[in-house]
Parts: sequence; structure tokens; C-alpha cells
Amino acid sequence: MMATMLSEDRRADASATERVAERLRRVLPAERVVTDIGRLRTYECDGLTGYRVVPGLVVLPETTEEVATVLRACHHEEVPFVARGAGTGLSGGALPVADGVVVSLARMRKVLTVDLVNQRMTVEPGVTNADISRAVAADGLYFAPDPSSQTVCTIGGNVAENSGGAHCLKYGFTTNHVYAMTLVLPDGSVVEVGGNGLDQVGPDVRGAVIGSEGTLAVVTRITVRLLRRPEAVRTLVADFDSAEAAGGAVSGIIAAGIIPAAVEMLDRLAIQACEQAVNAGYSLDTAAALVVELDGPQAEVDEGFAQVEEICRSAGTTKITVADDPAARARVWKGRKAAFAAMGRISPDYFVQDGVIPRTRLGEVLARIDEMAVEAGLRVANVFHAGDGNLHPLVLYNSAVEGESERGEHLSTAIAELCVELGGSITGEHGVGADKACSMSKMFSEDDMAVMKRLRTAFDPTGISNPGKLFPTPRLCGEKPGKYVAHPLEADGTIERM
Amino acid sequence: MNAQVVERPTSVEEVSQLLRDTDGTVLLRGAGTALSWGGRVAGTDLTVDTRDLTGVLDHTAADMTASVRAGTTLAELQAAVGEHGQWLALDPPTEGAGATLGGLLAAGDSGPSRLRHGNLRDLVIGVTLVLPDGTVAHSGGHVIKNVAGYDLAKLVHGSMGSLALVAEVVVRLHPRPAESVTTVGDADADQAADAAARLTASTLEPTAVEWFTTGDAAAGRLVVRSDGSPVAVAVAAAGVEAVLGQAGVGGSTCPPEEVPVLWDELARAVVGEQDETVVRVATLPSDLAVTAAHARRTAEAAGVRFRMASSAALGLHTLRLAGAPAAVVAVVDGIRGHALARGGSVLVRHRPDDVDSLVDALGPPPSSVALLRRVSDQFDPTGRFAPGRFEPWYGRTPA
Repeated sequence: MMATMLSEDRRADASATERVAERLRRVLPAERVVTDIGRLRTYECDGLTGYRVVPGLVVLPETTEEVATVLRACHHEEVPFVARGAGTGLSGGALPVADGVVVSLARMRKVLTVDLVNQRMTVEPGVTNADISRAVAADGLYFAPDPSSQTVCTIGGNVAENSGGAHCLKYGFTTNHVYAMTLVLPDGSVVEVGGNGLDQVGPDVRGAVIGSEGTLAVVTRITVRLLRRPEAVRTLVADFDSAEAAGGAVSGIIAAGIIPAAVEMLDRLAIQACEQAVNAGYSLDTAAALVVELDGPQAEVDEGFAQVEEICRSAGTTKITVADDPAARARVWKGRKAAFAAMGRISPDYFVQDGVIPRTRLGEVLARIDEMAVEAGLRVANVFHAGDGNLHPLVLYNSAVEGESERGEHLSTAIAELCVELGGSITGEHGVGADKACSMSKMFSEDDMAVMKRLRTAFDPTGISNPGKLFPTPRLCGEKPGKYVAHPLEADGTIERM
Repeated sequence: MNAQVVERPTSVEEVSQLLRDTDGTVLLRGAGTALSWGGRVAGTDLTVDTRDLTGVLDHTAADMTASVRAGTTLAELQAAVGEHGQWLALDPPTEGAGATLGGLLAAGDSGPSRLRHGNLRDLVIGVTLVLPDGTVAHSGGHVIKNVAGYDLAKLVHGSMGSLALVAEVVVRLHPRPAESVTTVGDADADQAADAAARLTASTLEPTAVEWFTTGDAAAGRLVVRSDGSPVAVAVAAAGVEAVLGQAGVGGSTCPPEEVPVLWDELARAVVGEQDETVVRVATLPSDLAVTAAHARRTAEAAGVRFRMASSAALGLHTLRLAGAPAAVVAVVDGIRGHALARGGSVLVRHRPDDVDSLVDALGPPPSSVALLRRVSDQFDPTGRFAPGRFEPWYGRTPA
């Protein structure tokens, strides 16, 4: 593994970390205060496996009060800490600080209250995304954000990253589905934000914390909004001779005033990889495939679905496959969601990118990516959330070939920054983390980031909560990550990547 | 009271320069529809009026996004994007009074469609702020999916003219529904609560479920809107009538010519009259009936006139009180005690001067008050913007 160790200038003071450990051993059971190097190594990376740093201490609190105790100890000793959920993040948001503290929320996984009438549930941060929906499935309710790692990723991590998923075009992101939270601030103080009422008096602190990537507070209790399962769901796959034609169909659907639950696109390379991996039934000979899903009241869905079929035909679809029963629909989604991991079938190595463009620039960005790929002498597979312009180009390379890894990484970063040039964003859902901190200055001015840092200072005046993430630092921006390596859970098929 | 200087800048640069060139206290205002919410701001050295900071900067119809200077009125934006069959899915009661996008974001106001589309907090995708020291900062962007950097648009939502001036706003748009049917029926609070709960538990997905009192008695009207294609809306409206029937509410389709009148009446019921004290209460949706009953009892006991309007499926209530100032204030306190005990929140909006001098507009500080104060100190270290708005929470003496 050619992992990169970050340089040591932000290494925590190991003796201070040891003092934190000593202090915590007095109040927590020994097995929850981890300093054994073997166990520490299991926390050295998240889903961005090219970055690896071994922490000095891992603590496993089980209550809000215990989290507060841990943070007070870190605050007292001025030791940096990083909160961690399932560790599935793709931007290195949970990358430890060398010799610093990792606060794992994995043991806080209780469902605290379920209120079916008001369609809300209060959970601890270690509850998985899928378990929220599972707990109320029999009641016809679900939690809308559906990141593709949802079977293992936790709600705490979803809050940190403001996770979306395939269905966020219609339903929004985590920030639109959280009513209230308990925060432990970096000095150990406990604050409640949000409440039983939708409106709170004063600035929306809850909204500022969601998506702050663990840099403002540790969230220990979350009240989420549950939605009623729609009356009807219909899904189709439409093949096209070119990605441009498929893009035309997407524009047509949106222009017709339809907001699909999801619109996904795969290009030929991506389809080939997915079919080899899971045999979901996509056409191997098509240049591009669109997955369109509508949901809502039956009458609305039926009418919209007929319109979508007509629009696809006008845009020149070569084949429409309707997946109307749950099993067929599950197969379509399995193929789509397997895309990242499936790349291993057609390339020894690959980088996963996560850029956003205005939907109308789709044809242009695909043409530019093609040119850039030819120039770099590499292949790029494209899978994306076409409805909201969120691209996931997968840069394929072979690390055994001299220079390909560097060319691949350069191409991947250039694609993200091209997205900004076209009026978009460097990240739609994976977050900035350690991975893209250096690209933030392509999107935001010094003043923009200085003001964001004022917010950080209000929460964390000494900068101990997940330092080195989100904002560019000379330390991070001078170094190169290693290649993308499948997360162990991804490699064994437990989770899928989008 | 200082001499009031009013400036009406026309660009972000002018706002920034103006704030760099001055150092006194500042009242930020748009149309002024929410100027009296929360703590009163009085005697500032300068008023920055955003009503010349206008214009739709960009509307890419196919992307369904628009960016506007923040003094643009919601009505102007709706007209501009309406030509392309789109709208900003926001219908606050102050739209008719010229509410601006910046003001709506700062005030955190919303309307009936919040049930389906969320509020402005959910629809803003980017923002340009000018801080009290003149620093210009952007957050978000022009695409609907974006997680880069802190979401400062959320932070200023509800900041009521403290923290920063909202100079530009980028929003996500929605397709204007082809058809809309309003179902209306007579209902008291208990029936409205029952009907709202049944609609929430159904798969009908109405855009709005509103209830308001029609007089001194407990009687009121329940109003439900279904949006979509003509076929889908016809099916939905029939479903709504059936559900209302289960709650004992005889609902029927409001004749098209009466629909605008009905929704205007509802908007007025939320805004209130000059002589009224308007209290905004947020509770669990299931607390509608107890909130209404408690407030009515408290008001009647104090000899205070009581009116109420609710976004029934959202648990957002507007209570309007009129009477002797001390009695009104006692009722406000009673309403607050009841709502806070149930985990709700309360903000006093408009009130006559004689009530203002007695009433506690904000209530007890939340557990986040020290944090809010630190955020304020970071964004506005000298307390320039809207001094008094969050007093006594911040413990500052207005300059």
C-alpha cells in the first residue's frame, strides 16, 4: 500500500494525549480508552484510503456526558480530536491527527424516541442511516437521505457531511431532514439546537453545524424528520446513442415541470464495469443509459411517467426498459450503486471524483473531460446524478505503469476544478475533508474563507476539533495522496459507492 | 436618539464601502415587514435600506436557479421567473407588502407552501453577505447540490439583521404547478388538528394545510391546497375531501374566483392588525389543539381578544392579541410558558408601543446563547448591526 503519511507539523503532543488517556481511564472502562497500536491502526483512515495517519488515542464514549468528558479533557490538554462514525467518508473527513484523539461514536447507537404522529425520531449518532428507515418501515415511514453507503454509514456522519444520495434532487439533503440536535462543543459544553417547533428564535445554528465536517462540534443526539412512503414508485432505464442525447432527455424532463425522485446517468465504460460486477441488465452496447425514477401519488406518477417515456423517445432513446416491480427496480439500483466498486473489474486502480456543474453545462463538461482524458492518456468512466449536475467521473489508471498514478490524480483534480470554472462546485456530497482542502481556494476567496473561519472560531477558539480539514493549509496542500484503495467494507461488498 | 441617516446602496461594493467608511450602529432594512420582530432596534446612527439593491442577476431557466440582489422583492422575482413557468416555492404572508429576498432570509419568514417545499432556508443555495466591517463573503454557489464550505446562508436565516447584511441570494426554483385546487371547510381547532394529522398520515401530499379562526368563537376554517397536473389534482382534491370528512369537516372545492380572496384572508390573519400583538409559536404539529385551547382560555380569562392562524400540519401558529397592554403581556407570558414546557418556541413579532415597553419579546435564552453571543462577537465585534435585537440575551447595552 503506497499510503502517504502526512508531515508532522500538526502532530499532537504525544505526552498531552497520554495525559488525556490517563484522565479518561479514571472515568471510563479500559476497553473504551484505546492506546494499543494494533487497535489504533484500525482508525488510521476512512473511505479515502490513500491518506493514513495513526492517532494516539481512540475513545469510545456511550453517552453525551461521556463525550463532554472526553472533549473537556482534550480542551484542557489542548489535544486535537476527530469525531468518527462508520468511517465511510470519501474525503478524509475522519482522518486522525497524528498522535491526537479519535472520538468514535460507534457505541452510541440507540434509537431514543419514535414519534409516528409527528413523523420524527430521535437517535444517537452511531445509528446507521438504513436502520432509521428500518425502524419505521412497518409504519410506512422512512428517512429520505440515502447515501449509497447507507447500510453502514451513520446519521452522525450524515450530519457532518450533509449527505444526500440518489434521491436528493427531489427530497434534499440531511440539512433538510434534521429538526434538532444535541451538540458537544470543543470545550465540552453541551448545547441543544432546534426543538419540537420548526422555527427557532435567532440564527440557525443547526443549519451551520450540518455539513461542517466535524470542525464545529460533536453531535450526540439527532432528531430527524421521517417521510411517508409515497403511494407509487416507477422506474425506467432509457438507452441513448450518446451522453449528449441522454442529457437532452434530462433537460426535457426538467423543462416539462417534472421533478423526478432520481435521474442517474451511466456511460458505456461505467455500464461495462457494472454489468461485469452485478449483471443488473443494462445494455452493454449503449453509449449512455438514464435511470429515471418518479414517486408520489399514483395519478401524478402515472401521468409523469408517460411524459418521461415520450420525452426519452423524442430525445432519441434506442430502448426503454421499465422496471415496475420492486425486484426489477432493486436490480437497476444495484447496478447503479455498484458503479464505483465495479471499476476494479476494468481497471487496476481508479480515483473517484465528486464535482457539480449547472445541469445545462453537461454536454460541455463531458466533451472537456473526454479531451482531458485523451491528453492524459487515461480512460474516464462517468456515472452521475444527472438531475442535479453532480458528476462522479472515475479516473482509471494502473499504478504499476510509471507516472500513471500522478497523471490520474492530476486529471481527477483538474476535473473538479473544471466544475468550478463552469459555475459549479468541487464537491456535491463527498465533502472537502482532507482531500479537497487545497481546491477550496478555487471556489472561495480569502475573505470568504476568513469569514467561515470566524464561525469556526466562535465554536472552537483553539482549533482542536478536526483541524487540517476543509480549509487549505500549507501542510496539506504541499503533499500528494496515495491511490484510491477500496475500503475493506467496499471490497467485501458490504457497501456500495456512488 | 441619533440623527437618522438613511443610505440606499445599489451594489454590493457600495454596501461594503459604506460600512468601511462609517463606524456607528446600523439598522438594516428591506421592505420593513419584519422590522418590529424580536427585540426593538432603536436609535441607530445609520439605516441601510436595501430597496435599491435590486435586480435579477441571473436566471438560467433550464437549471431552475436564479440569483438576485437582496433588495429585490419576492413579487418581482416571481414575475421574472414566472414567465418561464417557474417560481420560488415560497409564499410568505408579507409578499404583498413588498417583502424582499434578503429580508425574508434574515427574518426566516415562510408561508403555507412550506409543508411541501420547505422554507427559504431550504431553497437558498448561495448567498453574498456583507459583514459590519465591510467584508464581503460568499457561501454556497449556483448549483443545487454543493457541500463545499460552511453554509452561511443557514446561519443568517433568522438572524434578523444582526451578523451580516444579506446582499445577494441564489435560490433553487420549482416548476409552477399546472393546476391548483383549494379545498375549504369549517373546522374548530380540534377538527383542524384531527384533519391535519390524517392528511399527514395519508399519501396525498398536499402543498398546504392551513387553519384560521373566523371570529371570537372557536370556529374557524380549514384550507387545503393540492398542486399538480389537472388530472392529479382532481384525484388529490377528492382524496382531501374524503380525509376531511373522516375528521368531521365538510370540505368542498373553493370556487376559483374565491381562491385568491381566501388566501389573502389567511395572509392577513398571519400578519395581523396595527393594534394587535402578534405572537409566533412553533410546536409539534400534534400540539395544535392544546395550544389553541390553552391560548383561548388564557386570553378569555384576561379579557384579551384572541385570533389564531396555524400551518396545521407544521405546528406553526400565529396568535393575535388585542386588549389592555398589561393583560396582553400576561397572556403572552402564559402562551410562552405553555409552549416552552412542550419543547416549542415563541417569538413576539409586531406589537403596539404600549405593549412593547412591557413585553419580553424573546423569552428566556436558549442553551445555545453563549455560542450565539460568540458568533455575534466574531461577525460583529462592536455590536454595530441591529443593537437590541437579541437583548437581553446577549447582555449588551445598545450603543
